[in-house]
Amino acid sequence: MVGGVGSEGCWMKVICDRSALLDAINLVSGAVASRTPRPQLQCVKMTATKDDGAGELALVATDGEISLSLKLGRVDVERPGEALIPADKLRQIVSAEDDEPTLTLEVEDEAVHIRGKDAHFKVFGYPPSDFPAIPSFEDVANGAGGAEKAKAVFTHSAGALETLISRTAFATAKETSRYAINGVLFKRDGKRLELVATDGRRLALCRSVLPASDKETRAISCIVPTKALTMLQKLFADPEEPVRIAITDGQIYCSVGGGEGKKAGGERAVMSSNLVEGTFPPYEDVIPKDHDKRVVFDRDVLSSAVRRAALLTNEESRGVRLSFQGKTKKLELSSRAPEMGEAQVRVDLSKYDGDDLEIGFNPTFITDALKVINDPEVILELKAGNKPGLIRSGTDFVYVVMPVNLQ
Amino acid sequence: MVAAQIAAGEVVERPASVVKELVENAIDAGATRIEIDLEQGGVELVRISDDGSGILRDDLPLAVAPHATSKIRATSDLDHIATLGFRGEALASIASVSRLSIRSRTPDAGEAWQLDLEGDPEAATPGRVRPAAGAPGTVVSVRNLFFNTPARRKFLRTTATEQSRCVDAVTQLALSHPAVAFVCRCDGRVVIDVPREQTPHRRALDLLGPELQDQLLEISADRYDDARGLTLWGLVGLPAIARATRAAQHLFINGRAVRDRTVQHALQEGYRGILEPGRFPTALLMIEMSPEGVDVNVHPQKAEVRFRDSGVVHSVVYHAVKRALAAADLTPTLTDLGRPSRASDPRAILPGPATPEPGGSRVSPPIDGGGPTRAAFVDYFRRFMPSGPTERLSYDAIREAVRGTGGPGEGPSIEPATPVSTDERPAREPGLAPAPRPADRVLQVHNSYLVTQDAEGVVIVDQHALHERVMFEALLARVLERDLESQRLLTPVVVDVTPAQSASIDELSPLFKRIGIEASALGPRQVGVSAFPSFLFERGVDAGGFVRALLDRAGASDFAPGSEDALRDVLDMMACKAAVKAGDRMSEGELTELLRLREAVERSSNCPHGRPTTVRLTIRELERLFGRA
Repeated sequence: MVGGVGSEGCWMKVICDRSALLDAINLVSGAVASRTPRPQLQCVKMTATKDDGAGELALVATDGEISLSLKLGRVDVERPGEALIPADKLRQIVSAEDDEPTLTLEVEDEAVHIRGKDAHFKVFGYPPSDFPAIPSFEDVANGAGGAEKAKAVFTHSAGALETLISRTAFATAKETSRYAINGVLFKRDGKRLELVATDGRRLALCRSVLPASDKETRAISCIVPTKALTMLQKLFADPEEPVRIAITDGQIYCSVGGGEGKKAGGERAVMSSNLVEGTFPPYEDVIPKDHDKRVVFDRDVLSSAVRRAALLTNEESRGVRLSFQGKTKKLELSSRAPEMGEAQVRVDLSKYDGDDLEIGFNPTFITDALKVINDPEVILELKAGNKPGLIRSGTDFVYVVMPVNLQ
Repeated sequence: MVAAQIAAGEVVERPASVVKELVENAIDAGATRIEIDLEQGGVELVRISDDGSGILRDDLPLAVAPHATSKIRATSDLDHIATLGFRGEALASIASVSRLSIRSRTPDAGEAWQLDLEGDPEAATPGRVRPAAGAPGTVVSVRNLFFNTPARRKFLRTTATEQSRCVDAVTQLALSHPAVAFVCRCDGRVVIDVPREQTPHRRALDLLGPELQDQLLEISADRYDDARGLTLWGLVGLPAIARATRAAQHLFINGRAVRDRTVQHALQEGYRGILEPGRFPTALLMIEMSPEGVDVNVHPQKAEVRFRDSGVVHSVVYHAVKRALAAADLTPTLTDLGRPSRASDPRAILPGPATPEPGGSRVSPPIDGGGPTRAAFVDYFRRFMPSGPTERLSYDAIREAVRGTGGPGEGPSIEPATPVSTDERPAREPGLAPAPRPADRVLQVHNSYLVTQDAEGVVIVDQHALHERVMFEALLARVLERDLESQRLLTPVVVDVTPAQSASIDELSPLFKRIGIEASALGPRQVGVSAFPSFLFERGVDAGGFVRALLDRAGASDFAPGSEDALRDVLDMMACKAAVKAGDRMSEGELTELLRLREAVERSSNCPHGRPTTVRLTIRELERLFGRA
């Protein structure tokens, strides 16, 4: 033990489960600013509360764009209070004290003392008031506490949102100057929620129906940064868990695991993020409606064929040629990389009765989509070699992919 | 008739033209040794003595009579002009503006005969020919040039200038006639003394300066190279000795010193990508071709020619130069980069105080000077060079290297060198592949430069410049084979442009198609890009920004959309955008791969803009820097 600390001048004091604390810190660390002139944004804000004897520790981090807030239950709160502590030191200490089932966190002035059985760490922090104020989900949903009232609030299940996000977020653009496509479009109209993502060369669209309990019907759309959605996915624990979503002019708030109405505020976690400004491309126009060639594939067969044909592509010769042969009822996939070699893979197409057709695709674009489809059957629709290809799975997933010109 | 067909021209302008005319006459007379004596820059005296066939007593007056050339007998002979001084008026013109004296003796004559004139060729009558003492051959003395035309005399420059022009003229003639011995004295001082029966290479080094031998690459082409009746031999300088003017370029067609735009252009093209703009290679080029293939009678001083098929000449010169440069290691050393010749007197034949290059392994053929020890030394190291100077790496090797999947042979594969024909060049040993280079450590400095070592010293690479060069070559090879692969876009990327740029889209679209871009005008101020090269997408290049930059470049006045230059320009822009930037951190694997590419790519020593990608600090230079030399 490093010297004892007197009770004078002490504020917050909590005893919590070490591994639960570590999990929470790891999650919120994702929202800590990595490079910032404000050291306060590299901190985690901790707030200990005690209500009817049940202690709770809230951890909040933000990089100014995205904020994450997690609530840790089953915490022994000796004294409620607040602290603002550098996130990386906190994480390192909690992670290193791996022999300890519990850790004691005690705040004195702007420093936190972390005590295990045989160790004592004193970490200097900042005044909690230096941390930006982040409105609570309920304040946003109700326009209370000075927060801007949300234009729309609705609820969906974590499982359904997980599916929507994983089927679209992969298709967003990475670091393009067309900022609007650096995120995923959320479009809510009545009971329908649609997520759309594109990088200009392919477009993924996934639809779902909101639960009947939702009474909101206002149409609204916004663009959510991909990074925020990736973080949101990490917060999901149980597919049945409700996720409430509130959208304001510039931000989206997602509360995970809470109740509504009287039970409101009991959520496990809240993610909020600035929205991407800009206009999403008019995507309805690029989804072809007049495709006359339709092939049903076994998802794994198509995926395997494309992956194998892709083995002989390189950076400059990215494309795989798909040659549909109506007479022989075969699909031949071929690739050719100059000076490297060529590949041919054949797939039987017993159900294909259209005309012969040749079209080239970037194979990654095809396999990306096949990866997120759960259904063992996928449908490929085509029109001509220079027209987009369309992949469908069930009625809720549509994927448009533009061809490459093969010489 | 013959006289009428020869365009009249000013043959005698200054002492140097006298020297040129008279030395050419001596060469035509079969001389094996020619002595040139100059006094006061040739204004006081030009005396040419040869050991040629001489002139018969009775022919002496005719030799100086206007248009009484003994060389052309019929107009059809003009089609087969294979001698240098076919213009009979030369002696007559000289005789009319100087005090001329000819003394000549044919081999079987018992004595020499002499004719003296005082500015009056009409006075050349058989009666004035008198016997004299002298060896077989001819001595022509020209004294007091322009003594009777004071106005012309006023136009002469200083003695030093006139003298240097005379010496230039002798140098040109001596370069093209290595079998003939030349001695040139200025006011009694010997300035040129070269023996007979030299090889062209030896002659060139003797005249241009032996210290250049490490800076010159030998080039050649003959019928084995599909040169279609042309034989080319020459020496071309490394980029380090390039000059700000073409003064250090010597071109000879059938032994005649000429200037020719076709050849100049072919030469410059051969250096494309390895010389900065505004620099001209040092070169000595000798082309032999059938007299029917070239018209020399287009310029009074015969300084320009007209080729019947200039395309063939261009192609032969271009490919020979390119071949030699591709085979050479062009990496400049610190000494090269600091070479004062880069800004020296453009008129001098020799570059400034050139420092002899240590190592001596940078010239493709062994030099028959420099001593046997040195040649053996050079040969020894050549055998261990990663890419033998006479071998050229194929494009496949680059691809091989790009992919990093070393074939069974380990290291890049090579294709046999283009057949070479020069005698001095050793036959390539079959099956002697270059030894793989040792795995030297590579250090990335400030995330911008790579430092490693090779047999000669420290090698410093500009990572962006080298990667750009490598990508440029890969793209160029790919485009020449077929259009770049193009990814279509869901909706066109809209680019704001000027009305002129919008209007130019149709003209540019064939070029755009080759590089995988499809764009169309959406209106006077907007262009829509509907397809973009997959390769640039992979590299994260923004389509809109790139097309805008392309249109800006295409708006320049020197941009001709259908030209090879334009294609190179746009590929260059692509390579630049897609290449690793200065400041990009590279993994160890990437570093070694980039250096492997350096070995594989032609002209990797300079980026497409001509700046060096690689600089070498030789051990010798290091020793000098540390005072150990």
